[in-house]
Parts: sequence; C-alpha cells; structure tokens
Amino acid sequence: MDLVGLNQDSVFIGQAVGYPGTAMFNTLKNVPAEKRMEFPVAEELQLGVSLGLCLAGKNVVSIYPRWNFLLLAMNQLVNHVDKRAELFRASTKSRALIIRTSVGSERPLHPKSQHVGDFSYPVALMCPNVKVVKLENPSEIVHAYEEALRASDRAATILVEYGDFYNEK
Amino acid sequence: MTEPRLDSQELREFETQVAEAFNHGRIRAPVHLYDGNEDQILKVFQNVNEDDWIFCSWRSHYQCLLKGVPRDLVFAEILAGNSISLTFPKYRVYSSAIVGGVLPIATGVALGLKKQGKSEHVWCFVGDMTSETGIAHESIKYAETFDLPITFVVEDNNHSVVTNTRETWGLRTLTYELANESSKVIYYSYSSRYPHAGAGQRINF
Repeated sequence: MDLVGLNQDSVFIGQAVGYPGTAMFNTLKNVPAEKRMEFPVAEELQLGVSLGLCLAGKNVVSIYPRWNFLLLAMNQLVNHVDKRAELFRASTKSRALIIRTSVGSERPLHPKSQHVGDFSYPVALMCPNVKVVKLENPSEIVHAYEEALRASDRAATILVEYGDFYNEK
Repeated sequence: MTEPRLDSQELREFETQVAEAFNHGRIRAPVHLYDGNEDQILKVFQNVNEDDWIFCSWRSHYQCLLKGVPRDLVFAEILAGNSISLTFPKYRVYSSAIVGGVLPIATGVALGLKKQGKSEHVWCFVGDMTSETGIAHESIKYAETFDLPITFVVEDNNHSVVTNTRETWGLRTLTYELANESSKVIYYSYSSRYPHAGAGQRINF
C-alpha cells in the first residue's frame, strides 16, 4: 500500500480506509490521510465512482473487504469497468483501477458461507478485460501492485487476498 | 458558456434523418430517438461549457450535437451501429446503454474534479425510470451532500420502454419532479412521437 500511496495521483477508496481499528486500516496506515477516502456502504456507487475518478485522472485502489460484498458492484464491474476501452476509449487508458478484495478467514473463527466466497474464476470468465490475481504468497504482493499500476492494456486489476494467510504466511 | 451549435429545427431534422436511415434498414443496431424536448435541452446547454463533461444513456444524439461533435461524425457512428453507447472522448461525451450505469461514474468524475480544484462541470442525463433507481438516489445524495460539481438532468417522457414510471412505482409525482433550483437536479418533461426504440416502422432486414 505504501508503494501505491507514493504515487502522486493515487487515491484509496472504501470502508475502514480512514478510521483505525480494523485489519484493513492497518495496511493503509502509512498512506497519507488525504489519499484515503472513507466511503459509505454503497458497493455499486463505490465502483462507479472509482471508475469516474480514473476518468478524472486518478489511480484508484477500490477496496471491498470480501468477494461477497464486491458482488453487489457487479453491474459496474461487468458492464462498465470491463468495457472501459469501448465505452471510454483512450480517455482512461493511462490510469489504473485496482480492486482489492479478499476471501474471509476461516480460522480461528468461521464467518459462514456469506463471507468466504471466492469468485475469482467466474469473474475472470465474465470480465475478459479485467485481470484477476490471487495473492497466495506474501512475496507476490509488491510485484502485483507494481504491475497493476503500470498496466495500460487492461481495464482493471482485481487483487484477491486470503484472510487466513495474514496469520499463516 | 457556449453558443448553441444547432437550433430546435436542426436537432429535429437530424433525428428525422436518423429515423429515415433506420426505416430504410441502413442501421443494423437499435436507435433511440429524441423528439419534443428540443427547447428544454437547448436551455440546459446554455450553461454547458466546452470543458464540461457529458454523461448520457442510450438516447444521446442531441447531447453529442450540442456538445460540438460534428454532425457527420455523430451520424457516421450511428450508421456504424453505435447509437446506444455513443462516446466521443475528445468532446467529453460518454454514454452507457445500461440503466443508471453512468450515474456513479459521472459522480466519480465530479469528485475527481473537485479534489483537483478544477472548474469543469459534469452533466448527467437520465430518464424518468432511471431517476427512481437506487443507484440514482445514491449518486444524487452523494453529489448533494459533498456539493460536487455535477448536475443531473431528469428527462421525463413518462415511460421506460412501454412501462409507465409513475404507475409502477405508485407515485403521483417523481422523486425529483419538484427539484428546486438549489438542487443538483434539473427536471423537465416532454412527449415524443417516436417509440422507445426504432422509428416507428417494422423493418425487415
């Protein structure tokens, strides 16, 4: 997150990006406050706004704590983000949209089925212009963000974290 | 503020030209035509500047023309089958054929402009049924509470395809029908001679 935070035009948007007390905030605490935008729970609005921020010249990290929650933004993801090149042509090509999400941890507490969905495969099928990256090892994370920031040939990058790995890897 | 590039009559003539092309089978894709709202949309565009951003739905020929996209270029894109999602980045005109799709995107552009201290303004055109969707209410609420540089223009032809908006929502008046001048919303109503899609004739391709 520090790497992206150093980018002059970057902005982080989502829940618990501005207020301490969660694991999500802990990963963003070194990002300047003016680059963190706490957002209401409005998943589709958030992803549409994220795409709009890209249009206006920002590199955006849009954060959804669970895949299950990102499902609520599918209209924007499938019909607009994935079709970005067609709908917006060259105007957003140089700005990165990174969607950060995760599969909920199952240990030591299991949150049951609505918080542990992993929709990486079907979403990758539905969104051929979006790259879905499963972050299964800590060593992959920095490279994945570097690549997502500079990739101009894709509509967006979804970086998928695994909650249990925070404790186990 | 820019001078209108076309008048009411010229706007109507353009849509008539598209209708004729469609009815003669020259356009192998849906078209959604405007009619009867020329004076209202010209009034809106009296406040649209060259650097402003325009977001539309599947019905956007008038906005493209009034933002300055050359008539021949708009017509060529329509003939190419792109009427329902016309996009001209050079003129900052964008469209989506998904109900409510552009509202949060337009809101995001307005948020970005405000954060960068730019003077540009965003104009987002929506129909009456779209204006009653959840995403419209969320987008307008966010834009109003954060005073974003955006105006939502609700264009009410009283129908979504053939469905009556007020009847299906059980409303006597639309939520934004009584929007006042201090709001981020402009409302107007109109009646069109054209159906939701096409130009009124059944075409055998």
